[in-house]
Amino acid sequence: MPVGLPEFVENPENRCPVLLLLDTSGSMVGEPIQELNRGIAAFKEDVLKDTKASLSVEVAIITFGPVRLIQDFATIEHFTPPRLEASGFTPIGEAIDCALDRLEARKETYKANGIQYYRPWIFLITDGAPSDCWQLAAQRVREDEAKRRLCFFAVGVQGANTNILAQIAPPERPPIMLNGLDFRSLFVWLSASMKRVSSEKIGVAVALPPVGWGQITT
Amino acid sequence: MDWKAIARSATGTSHKKQQLPCQDYGQFIICHNVILGAVADGAGSAKHSDVGAKLTVETALNELLQLGEYTLYLHCAPQPLPDEQARTIFANTLKEVVKALQEQAASSDYSVNDLACTLLVFLATPNWVAAMQIGDGFIVARLREGEDQLLFTPDKGEFINETTFVTSANALNDMRVRVLPGQQKFICASTDGLERVAIRMSDCTPFPPFFQPLEEYMVETSHPEQEDEYIRNFLDSERLNAKTDDDKTLLLCLYDDSKVK
Repeated sequence: MPVGLPEFVENPENRCPVLLLLDTSGSMVGEPIQELNRGIAAFKEDVLKDTKASLSVEVAIITFGPVRLIQDFATIEHFTPPRLEASGFTPIGEAIDCALDRLEARKETYKANGIQYYRPWIFLITDGAPSDCWQLAAQRVREDEAKRRLCFFAVGVQGANTNILAQIAPPERPPIMLNGLDFRSLFVWLSASMKRVSSEKIGVAVALPPVGWGQITT
Repeated sequence: MDWKAIARSATGTSHKKQQLPCQDYGQFIICHNVILGAVADGAGSAKHSDVGAKLTVETALNELLQLGEYTLYLHCAPQPLPDEQARTIFANTLKEVVKALQEQAASSDYSVNDLACTLLVFLATPNWVAAMQIGDGFIVARLREGEDQLLFTPDKGEFINETTFVTSANALNDMRVRVLPGQQKFICASTDGLERVAIRMSDCTPFPPFFQPLEEYMVETSHPEQEDEYIRNFLDSERLNAKTDDDKTLLLCLYDDSKVK
């Protein structure tokens, strides 16, 4: 009885969006911004080592200030690490608003195309204090976190106002102070986390690797 | 003029790598012209979910079988089970499953959450099928005159939807129930390991080239449980493992009405 074998439907890969929200204000000039650039390049390199993650992970970058979407969501393969330069103020509030809006728009695109996606990550890295009104944006972050619509990480670089960062970051995930300028370790950790998340089923809580690159502020 | 069926599971490659047992389980009972089927997928994070999945499936089937003596055969008439009654029956099934899991957990000295698993159950007569689903996985049914139908849309698509397990506090609330009237032909129940190769996720429709050969196999074989090579080979094939590293289960049923024609 010759019976053929079941054929498979081609479904698009699940997406694992991560949005980098990067402080490129004047105080980041010099070594900090260079190390940040190297860290982002290391991120791409490391994600590419994992076939599943490189098909799933999508990166977008918003820098501030001024607030600019310098990289819209793209899979790792199509992502070119930027050469960021530092200048300007620190409009964290506006940057967060922009990030949340961009994320919502991306989710709509996913939905319209029947693409399943993991809980998005927003990664805020700053060495300063907001130069604008940040309270409403912080409230949005906390509400979205509470509804489990995203994971928000706040990373402080030397000089960051951890007091304000702690009011922006969700209470269950306090800000982390980066060890010196070890951006590389931070981004390798981010890559390792993305590999874990993207290898799991959607909706499953994943144990993240230990944070070796910074101190959790409480 | 009877049901024939087969249930097989295969360990996913990721579980083999981690030396984990197969945490899927599927089984069926044929009783006159009624078939009861169930599949369960043990939670990856639960320590003894392989035990939980097997106990869940066996308890669910036994419970429905007992129930059958009082109510089921009354409903073998062409009239489908009313929706409300189906919900009551499956709610009761879930209650018994949870009770069995709690007893097992107590006697083995571990938490009931260590036995967490999904559950899909159906009860089919020649004239209708009633089904329930808790968590992910899928049931596809084809009526004699009709196309493959997905009974429940996938329990995800939005990251905020965490899969529900029979041990979840919201299991009863999340339990979906459906009665599909019509002359039955083919039923396929499966855990989520096969979801992405069998269901087109953009519009949640079964992919006919996946199901047609399986139905054809069921037509061709007279004793599927003895002639299981085709299914076992398929579930263990490299071609399939390249697409999914999860455990996978197929429970296939065919109502053979050729002799009455």
